[in-house]
Amino acid sequence: MPEHVLVLINVSPGATLRDADREALGAARALAAARGVPVACALIGHEVAAAAAEAAERGADRVLTADAPSLVPFAGERFLPVAADAIRVAEARIVLVPRGPDLLEFVPRLAARLDGASVIGVVAVRAEEGDVTAVATAFGGAAHAVYRFRAPGPRVLALAPAVAEAPERVAGRTVTPEPLTVSDVLPRVEVVTPAAPLEGPRLEDARVVVSGGRGLGAADRYALIRELAAALGGMAGASRAIVDDAWASPAQQVGLTGKIVTPDLYFAIGISGASQHMAGCSNARCLVAVNTDPQAPIFRYAHYGIVGDCLEVLPELIRIAGQSGEPKA
Amino acid sequence: MHIVVCAKRVLDPDGVNGYALWGRLKVDDSGRAFDTGGTVAQIINAYDEQALEAALRMRDAGAECRITVVTVGGEDAGDVLKRCVAMGADHAIHVVDSEARADGFRVAAIVAALVRDLGDVDLVLCGRQGSDYDQGTLPGALAEALDAALVTMAAGVAVDGDTAIQVRRAVPNGEEVVRAQLPAVVSVSNELGQARYPSSRGMLAARRTPPERRAASDLLAGREPGGVELVQLVVPDVQGHCEIVDGADAAAKAAGLMARLRERGLLHA
Repeated sequence: MPEHVLVLINVSPGATLRDADREALGAARALAAARGVPVACALIGHEVAAAAAEAAERGADRVLTADAPSLVPFAGERFLPVAADAIRVAEARIVLVPRGPDLLEFVPRLAARLDGASVIGVVAVRAEEGDVTAVATAFGGAAHAVYRFRAPGPRVLALAPAVAEAPERVAGRTVTPEPLTVSDVLPRVEVVTPAAPLEGPRLEDARVVVSGGRGLGAADRYALIRELAAALGGMAGASRAIVDDAWASPAQQVGLTGKIVTPDLYFAIGISGASQHMAGCSNARCLVAVNTDPQAPIFRYAHYGIVGDCLEVLPELIRIAGQSGEPKA
Repeated sequence: MHIVVCAKRVLDPDGVNGYALWGRLKVDDSGRAFDTGGTVAQIINAYDEQALEAALRMRDAGAECRITVVTVGGEDAGDVLKRCVAMGADHAIHVVDSEARADGFRVAAIVAALVRDLGDVDLVLCGRQGSDYDQGTLPGALAEALDAALVTMAAGVAVDGDTAIQVRRAVPNGEEVVRAQLPAVVSVSNELGQARYPSSRGMLAARRTPPERRAASDLLAGREPGGVELVQLVVPDVQGHCEIVDGADAAAKAAGLMARLRERGLLHA
C-alpha cells in the first residue's frame, strides 16, 4: 500500500461515527489532497461494521478494521499494537486522532513506539514542504503553539473540536474492510474496580449547556443553573473553580481539563472567561454570558451578554424558558 | 521502593491567563516566548507537585520508599527542585539540557536514560501534563522507552505487594481502580487534591542539599533524540462582537435575550 493519511478511531460497540470522528475524516481529506495521497480509516473496537460503513461513505479510500471483544472496554496496552499495525499497513506519515477521553493513554506512547512524535489539541494542520506543522492550544487555551516535527517516524495529531467540517455522506459508497492484526497482549494493567456505568446523556452531546461559575456566590445557587438547563432541555456544566470548591461534580467541569462541549447554545453564568474554561466551550455556535462586571473577559467571547446579577437574571430566564409549554428535548 | 518524580518549571499559567483575560498577552520578538516584562513567575508545574504529593502520601501510608525528584532543563530550571526537597523528597537531580524546551519526547529519552542509569527505579510519577504546553507527552513516551506499564490520570496511588501498585483513576464517569505491575509510569491529575506546603524543617533540609547535577549529553551518549520543535507562539483572536442585551430590569433583559435566541432558532421551544 502506498502512503495514506490515516484516521485512527476507537469505536464503541455497535456505534456509528461520532462528530469528532467525522471532523477528523474531513481534516484527513484536506491533508490527503494537499499531499496527493488517499485516506485510510482504522476502526478499532468491537462490532465496528456500522462505523466502517459510514467511514467509507464519508470518503475513506481504505477501511481497516479491528473487531474483537478483547478491545472493549478501551485499554491502552491492547489498543496500541493494533493502532501501530494500522499505521504500518497504511504506510501513514500523518495520523489523525479524533478527540476523546483516552488520548493521553495512547497517543504519545504510540508515537514513541514508532519513533514518531505527537501533538495533542491540534487546532490547525498546515501541509508544508512535504511535511506538516501543527498548531495546538497551549497555556490552557491562552495561546497557540506552532510545532515542527523532528522525529523521523509518523506525526500523530490529536485534533481539537471544529478543525474541519464533516465530509458529506455519499450513500452507497462502499469499501471492503481489511482486517488488522489483533494480537494477544499480556496485560500489565488490569481494572480492579470499574467506574459506575455512564448513565443518561453526556455533556459533550448536549445541544444546550448552561454553566455556572464563582459569580453565583454560593454552592446552593448552583440549583438555579440546573433549573435553567432543565427548562431549556439542556445540561448543566460548571467552571473548574466551582468544581474545585465542590459546588458541582467533576463530571460537570467544562474546560481544557474537563469536558470539551460543542453545543448550539452555551450559557456562561457568573464565569469570568479564563482561557482554561473557554478551551472547553469556545466552539459553541452561540455563546451567552451573564455577569455583573461589564468588563468581564467573557464578554469578549460571547455573542450575547447580559450585564446584571445572575441571581436576578436566572429566575427570569427560567420563568421564560418554562413558559413556552413545549415538550423539553 | 525507589520512586522517581518528574518535575518541570513552567511559566505560571494563572499569570499568563491573567494577561490573556484582559487581551494583553503578547509574544516577544523571538516569537517563542511571551512579553510579560518578567512579571509572571516561573513555578513548579502544579500537576508535578501533585505527583510528588502522591509519592509522599505513599510514604505516609507506610510504604518504605526513597523519593528522587528529577527535572530536565536549562541552568535555571533547577529552582523547582528546592521546593520538592522541602516538601519531603529525599534526593534531587537536575539534568541540564538546553534543547528540551517544549519537547516531551526529548525529555522522555533523557529521563529514561537517567532511570536506567539509576538502575533500581520501580515507579515513575509525572504530572498529567505541563500546564504550559498542555501536551502530556512525557508519561506515555517514558513508559514506552522504559517498556513499563502506563497508568494515566491518577487520583491516588498505593503499593500492592512487592511487584504492583493500585491506582485510583479519574475517568469520565467517575473513578476506577486499576492494578498495575511494576515497573510503571503513572501520571497524576488534579483530582489527587492539594499538595502539602513545605515545612520549615524541610526548607532547611533543602538549603543543605543542593540538587545533583547531571549533563543530558552524558546520559544520551551521542544520541540527539527529538520529537517536536516549538517554532512559534501565537495569541489567538477572540470573537469580540458581543451584543449586550439591555433593559429596565432583569426581567426585561432576560426577555430581550430569549427573544433573540428564539429568533435565531436556538431554543427548542
